[in-house]
Amino acid sequence: MIENIVGGFSSILAVGPITGIIVGIIVGIIFGAIPGISCIMAIAIILPLTFYVDPIVGIPMLLAVYKAGIYGGSISAILINTPGAAAAFLTAQDGFSLTKAGKSGKALSMALYASVTGEMLSTLVLIFVAAPISLISIKAGPIERVFLLIFAFTVIGSLSSESIPRGLLSCVLGMLFALVGMSPITGASRFTFGFTELLGGFTFTPMLIGILVMPEVIKALRQRNTPHQNLTLTKSSNPADNRISWKEYRSVFGTIIKSSGIGTFIGSLPGLGSSPAAFLAYGEAKRSSPNPEEFGKGSIRGIAAAESANNAVCGASLIPMLTLSIPGDDVAALMMGAFLIQGITPGPTIFYEHTHVIYTIFAGYFITDFFLLFIARIGFKFWTKVASVPKYYIFPCVTIFAFAGSFTANQDINDVLVLIIFSVLGYGMRLVGLNPAAFIIGFILTPFFEANLDQAIAIVGGNYLLFFSNPFSWIFTALTVLSVYSSMRQRKKAAAMKESVLIKVTES
Amino acid sequence: MHKKSKALIAITAALAISFMALSANAEYPQKPINVIVPYGAGGDSDLTTRVWADAVEKLIGNPIVVINKAGGGGVVGTAFVARSKNDGYTLINAGLGNMLVTPNFSKTPYDFDTFTPIVKMTSVPFAVAVKSDSPFKTFDEFVAAAKASELTQGSYGAASSGTILANIVADHMGYKPRYVHSNTTAESMVSLIGGHIDSAMSFPPAFGPHVKSGRARVLVLNQKMDEYPGVPTLKDYGIQESLEGWSGIFAPKGVPEEVVTKLIEATKKVMKDPKVLQAYKNMGAIVDFRYGEDWIKDMKVTYDGMKIAADKMKK
Repeated sequence: MIENIVGGFSSILAVGPITGIIVGIIVGIIFGAIPGISCIMAIAIILPLTFYVDPIVGIPMLLAVYKAGIYGGSISAILINTPGAAAAFLTAQDGFSLTKAGKSGKALSMALYASVTGEMLSTLVLIFVAAPISLISIKAGPIERVFLLIFAFTVIGSLSSESIPRGLLSCVLGMLFALVGMSPITGASRFTFGFTELLGGFTFTPMLIGILVMPEVIKALRQRNTPHQNLTLTKSSNPADNRISWKEYRSVFGTIIKSSGIGTFIGSLPGLGSSPAAFLAYGEAKRSSPNPEEFGKGSIRGIAAAESANNAVCGASLIPMLTLSIPGDDVAALMMGAFLIQGITPGPTIFYEHTHVIYTIFAGYFITDFFLLFIARIGFKFWTKVASVPKYYIFPCVTIFAFAGSFTANQDINDVLVLIIFSVLGYGMRLVGLNPAAFIIGFILTPFFEANLDQAIAIVGGNYLLFFSNPFSWIFTALTVLSVYSSMRQRKKAAAMKESVLIKVTES
Repeated sequence: MHKKSKALIAITAALAISFMALSANAEYPQKPINVIVPYGAGGDSDLTTRVWADAVEKLIGNPIVVINKAGGGGVVGTAFVARSKNDGYTLINAGLGNMLVTPNFSKTPYDFDTFTPIVKMTSVPFAVAVKSDSPFKTFDEFVAAAKASELTQGSYGAASSGTILANIVADHMGYKPRYVHSNTTAESMVSLIGGHIDSAMSFPPAFGPHVKSGRARVLVLNQKMDEYPGVPTLKDYGIQESLEGWSGIFAPKGVPEEVVTKLIEATKKVMKDPKVLQAYKNMGAIVDFRYGEDWIKDMKVTYDGMKIAADKMKK
């Protein structure tokens, strides 16, 4: 195995593959950072180009687009509160708070270091222990995934800072909107009111931008009469505010490791993808954090958790694809297409039949992280400037990107309408105090939950005891209870602290 | 002399302009052609279309852009093309699901007659697969067990082409499976390999890698395939219907005859390209290049068959 890895590294360190990786990284960062254009589009566009080049050039390039694209989503999330990819929306919560405080450099650095660390760890797992992990992950069938998803829903507890009932209400609202369209199970149309366009449900990207981003623009519009300095974000002059010190990195290192673990595990389960991984890691990081009240208000731990988890999915989602020919998410499905067309059938035999190719690809996947670190660092100087541009320049640009991005994803004008409708809804939700983040979580998790619940019910037939007949179910039920309990306890503690402060204030 | 050359220039210019006008009228294509794939990127329909588009694009020297418009089991993308201009610049990736099955089972704003079929590139035979350590060694054993007790079978939606095909087979053989619906056949193969379901209806691109690695077994196929010798076909069990998934290219009805012939001619050449053939083989699809009246008639027969099956299932 060691000689295979060494051989892989010596093949990847050639002009062709390295150029491919660098091009892939640049394309990935750019596509990932532009809101509404995701890395999957970039991969789909580049895919035919790779049909005619050597697999050790083409496939590392596609993988570089993937890794860089997932990372790129965090840049726009941090700087202009516009998550470029769905998984980055938790990053936006903390990242943009830091940007507002003039610490965009700190947020960007944390996101980059956490991303690269998460990716590296999961790539190492992919290289060394792919086979045993995949055997465990296929044992997690629909029944087990139902319990895992119930656990994922508890992240709402960590996100709804003001009020749990409002968080739950927002989540249910998100679930309701997720049901619109043709049922994937029965084929019946739900809540479409006769519109064919609605059969596919609401398109995710315009909805996400509408709920999370456009309300910020509307809010800024309403502040147009306030003095200009309020609309300009000044960059902190203290250099320590715009970088991550070794000490800070070390203080969140535990979180990064744990989140990477969560990301790797979720990534190796087929069919969940990077968003649930980020939710779980964020919730867990908040639960175990010494100062949970900082989350959502500019916590570097929050950024570290969300970013390392969603990037760890990159490496791990290839595990079921390569070892069992099961694509874990839509990107992995495209990758599998790329492998198949090159004549490499993913599966356990891949390691014997195409030893050299596969280890070269692994080596390329690993060194992509170093190039990403390097290339992204160069970009920082330009990107942090974006954050200090006055809002009255930024927001029109954001609006244009939002509309253009909504249109380009499917080249469908109806998606622009979806953006407008959800912008209004998102602003309305803020006015009445509903939680947009919880809404998005409901929207993202519901299709997974519905599909798995339906499969689980079909599998158990009449014998509902099967739901509780395996350890997975019990472990996740226990984790769910623990998570609900700890978020209740934190809330009590926070309330008690507030009260004691109040008492002190009234006493003095 | 001076006058002469001026006149010459004028004549040449006039000729050039009229040629340009002529070519603008006659030559298809003049701008990029969009092919809508009504499913997500990376699936069988998407990959077969991308290989076709890439090869034809090189041949005719005009960009062919593949756009994924997924949703509603293929209805959203197909309905979009049904409403598009029939000028030959918007085409649809057609298949068993969106053209022959869904219009019969769900309310769709289009049906088979809304489109002009152009070519069929590939087909994939229906199959029933089980896990390799399953107690059912043959299709007969499986049928016997399925008659004795309700077995679970993976499919992809109650009104999907997969379930329709599986039901035709089940009806013939006299068993009734309990369907477990995933989003794709690839996903239901995961449940099968993980031991969560007893059997799965599937197609070669989805089960191929699993059978090759010895984790799954095919019990029955719609059509003989060299890769799977010794697997009985449904014909052996007296099922004559065409139970296959396929991938082709359709255009909105009333598309100029020139577009149809041009694309058929281009596809004829592309289907001889060993690279294209190899790419399809690697995917696990059977190259099944068809066009013209006979083919359309055959599809119509299947369409009517699906209508009967739909009415039966709705009862």
